[in-house]
Amino acid sequence: MPDWREIVRDRLTPLRVGEKRQEDIVAELAGHLDELYEDLVRQGRSEVEAVRFASSSVADWAELRREIQLAANEGVIMNHRVKALWLPGVWTSALSMLLLRLFQIPWVPAPYVFWLRNGMALVIYWRWLLCLPLIGALGAYLSRRAGGKLLDRVLAASLHILGLTCVLVLGFCIGLVLDFRVPLSLRLVGIAVYLLGWGITPCFLLLLGALQFLRGDAAESRRAAASQ
Amino acid sequence: MRDTVIRIGPQIKRGSAELAILSVLAEGPLHGYQIAKSIERQTRGLLRFNLASLYPLLYRMEKRGWVKGTWEDPPGGRRRRYYRLAPAGKRRLVPLREEWAQFFQALNRLAGVTHA
Repeated sequence: MPDWREIVRDRLTPLRVGEKRQEDIVAELAGHLDELYEDLVRQGRSEVEAVRFASSSVADWAELRREIQLAANEGVIMNHRVKALWLPGVWTSALSMLLLRLFQIPWVPAPYVFWLRNGMALVIYWRWLLCLPLIGALGAYLSRRAGGKLLDRVLAASLHILGLTCVLVLGFCIGLVLDFRVPLSLRLVGIAVYLLGWGITPCFLLLLGALQFLRGDAAESRRAAASQ
Repeated sequence: MRDTVIRIGPQIKRGSAELAILSVLAEGPLHGYQIAKSIERQTRGLLRFNLASLYPLLYRMEKRGWVKGTWEDPPGGRRRRYYRLAPAGKRRLVPLREEWAQFFQALNRLAGVTHA
C-alpha cells in the first residue's frame, strides 16, 4: 500500500493554514485516499489500478491547495483586510484630521489663502501638508507590518484623502443638478482647484512619505508580523 | 401560479453540494469518506464527491460554523475526523431545503421538470 500521507504532503504542502492545521489536513486527506484504495481492492481491483484510481481523484493538486487555503482562511482573510487596510487607514485618517483641526485653531498663525473669483476661496493649510508625508509613511508602515500588499499600503496611506476627494466630486455633481445659478466654467475651475488643493497634492505628499514602505514582499512582512 | 416571488440563491451549484452534505450529516456524524459514500448511495450514484470537491467545501462549512469536525479514535479502527451538524448548520438546512423545493417547483412550472 502506498504511503498516502507522504504522497499528500508532497503534493499539497506547503499550505498557508498553520503547521498543526496543515498536518490535520494531510492526515485527513491521506485517510480518505487510504479508505478509497482499500475499498477498490475489496471490490476486486488490482493494487496498481486502485492506486491509479485513488490518485486520479485529485486532477490538480495546485488547485486543491488553493481551494483549501481559501476555505480555511475565509474568516482570516477578512481579519487580514481589517488589519492590513482598514486599521492603518483609520489611524492615519484620525491623525491627519486631528492635525488639520489643530492648525485651524485661531492661535495658530493663519494658513495661506488663495482667493478665487466670485467669493470662492481655496485655503491651504501648509503646516498640515508638511505633516502628510509622515502620516502617509505611518499608514504604509502599519499596513506593511500587518502583511498588507502594495495596494493595501497605498490605500492605507491615502484612504482619508481618497474619501475626501470622493466627497468633493460627489458635491460637485450634486451642485450641478441642484444649482444652476453658478456658470459651469466657474464650477469647473472651482472643482479643479479644490481637487488640486485637497485631493491631488495631499495624496501626492502622503504617497511620497509612504514610498519607502511600498517596497518589500507582503508575504515576508506577514511572516515578520506572525513572528512578533 | 403563485404570486410570491421565488428567490433562488446565486451559487446554486455550491448550494446543492452544501444541502447534500448537511442532509447526510443530519442523520448522524460521519467522516469525509463516509459523507462522500453516503451521498453517492442515497442519490444512487447521481451525485458524487471526490476528495478535491469534498474537502474544500467541508472546511468552508466548518469555518462558517455549520459543521464541526473532531478527531476520533474508535477502538480497533482508524483515527478519523468525524463531522457533526452544528446548531448553525441545522438552522441553515431548513431554508436551504425550502429554497431547493422552490427551485424544483419553478423548474417544473417552466419546463415540466419534476424531482424524484
